[in-house]
Amino acid sequence: MENRKVRIALTKGRIENKSVDLLEKIGYDVTDLREKGRRLILSIPDEEIEVVLAKAADVITYVEHGVCDLGVVGKDTIMEHGGRFFEIADLGFGKCKFALAVKNGVNFYEGYGVKTVATKYPEVTRTFFEAKGIDVDIVKIEGSVELAPLVGLADGIVDIVETGTTLKENGLEVYEDVAPISARLIANTVSIKLKQERIQEIVRLIEENLK
Amino acid sequence: MKRNDLLTPEGTRDYLFREAAAKRIISRRITDIFESFGYSDVITPGIEFYDVFNGNERSFPQESMYKLVDGKNRLMVLRPDSTLPIARLYATRLYKEQLPLKLFYNQSIFLVNPKDSGRDDEISQCGLEIIGGNEESMDYEALYLGYQALKSCSNKGFRFEIGDSGIFRELISQYDCDEQQAELIRNGIETKNYPLLDSILTDSDDNAAKALKALPHLFGGMEVFDEAQRYFNSGELGSKLLRLKRICEDLSKIIPPDIIRVDLGLVHKKSYYTGIIFRGYIEGYGQPILSGGRYDNLLKEFGKDEKAVGFAVNVEAAARVLIRTFDTEEFEQSTDVLVYSKNKIEALKYCDELYKDGLRVKIFEEESLEKALTFARENNIPKLVLIDENGNVQSREV
Repeated sequence: MENRKVRIALTKGRIENKSVDLLEKIGYDVTDLREKGRRLILSIPDEEIEVVLAKAADVITYVEHGVCDLGVVGKDTIMEHGGRFFEIADLGFGKCKFALAVKNGVNFYEGYGVKTVATKYPEVTRTFFEAKGIDVDIVKIEGSVELAPLVGLADGIVDIVETGTTLKENGLEVYEDVAPISARLIANTVSIKLKQERIQEIVRLIEENLK
Repeated sequence: MKRNDLLTPEGTRDYLFREAAAKRIISRRITDIFESFGYSDVITPGIEFYDVFNGNERSFPQESMYKLVDGKNRLMVLRPDSTLPIARLYATRLYKEQLPLKLFYNQSIFLVNPKDSGRDDEISQCGLEIIGGNEESMDYEALYLGYQALKSCSNKGFRFEIGDSGIFRELISQYDCDEQQAELIRNGIETKNYPLLDSILTDSDDNAAKALKALPHLFGGMEVFDEAQRYFNSGELGSKLLRLKRICEDLSKIIPPDIIRVDLGLVHKKSYYTGIIFRGYIEGYGQPILSGGRYDNLLKEFGKDEKAVGFAVNVEAAARVLIRTFDTEEFEQSTDVLVYSKNKIEALKYCDELYKDGLRVKIFEEESLEKALTFARENNIPKLVLIDENGNVQSREV
């Protein structure tokens, strides 16, 4: 007999709301998820599904260690964080992109000097330039990265771009796209084998209700 | 300067009492199985030359190895794997032995994990290697013993999964792509990254592309084979599939069929695997605890062309699950006799006799007899022995 209990980790915030909408569309009872208060563990009654809320990178950690079977997390976090898990579906929401941005009119690759790039995502930035065989200095910035080229700390930034409004208002522009981003459904590598039928059933329902 | 003399390095830890006992119990159970089936014990050094782990068939990422240099400034590593040292050992010292050669080990491997990931950097493993012999017959033996080892680790749900890494190798050779893209596809299949594979393998007229895309989806029970026949029913691939199916059917005569699982998308990152490949999963641990397969090209790199198959069990992980799921009594070491004396030499002399009779003893160090009695009662020690200054022995039941 397969264990039917499944625990899903959702990234708090926008992804969480979209995911709850999706679970509702499937026909699950999401009242507990809508009226969560400050609780972090919630349940979908009658379905033996437990939902936990976590920060993006923690969703990956929980799934990798197998304490959660499934997780919903942005591709941005997956690219930055890495880990051992299965990335089984592109959920299509939370769409945006990683892009290299510079001050208006600047040619980033011009000249012989090593360029400095400011970013909140050093791993994504490193992988991007490594693949091009270009040596860059990476500076990790915690807050508004747009500031770095404006005050002269960096030649460009690698950041998540949605509408491009923040860039525009600060006199920056997208120089090159790095990678597209959207929310992904991830699964623990063992859960998917030990609870195969149950997880495939949930994944099928999710995929059917994506359109 | 900050001193680190009170810490253990990240990814390692001290194992106390039950934790240590659980590891010993698991490794004993598994090595007992190996010994019962005629396997011989080997131990290889903890430190090896870097070159042992660096070759065509054995690409260990250098980021994941602990490195140091020897007195001649040569690069050394803490062994990240036990199969390669055993391949070296075979090629240098055991190649004249009669085949098949059946070896087992019980030792740690060392891996550098990403910071704060909560993974173990030191992992003790029990594993076996079979070198030479009839390929299929040795595969059966390795699979059967793998199942037995897995079973000895868990009293709850577990599954034993089989695949064939040759299927991917064959498919990728039929697909027109460069090495870099092949690695990207391999990684996509290994991590069941469906969105990635959908975006690379777009050519719907190309049969190899279609099959590569389907590969990671093909896992589950025996029904997988029917499904897979839609993608590869002829030639080399068809016969590989049939062979795997036959292996699974044969195994179901010696392993409960509901334990056996198939995953055609099993492509190990250790690129040395060439044929069957298998994994074991137990409830309560989020990563595979058993992993193995056939590696027919590896020994050639060490200069001796023999085929081999083997697997390893993560003792660390199995022990952790054991502690959580079993009764605590299994770990408690009971004492048979409490010895109380003010004369330590007399006490030890007496214990020497008991110990030879196979009894577990404990010497009580405190002053009063009352305290000794209380201690015996509290710790369920059935017998208390009193030895006075002159060596006279008086025993009483508690």
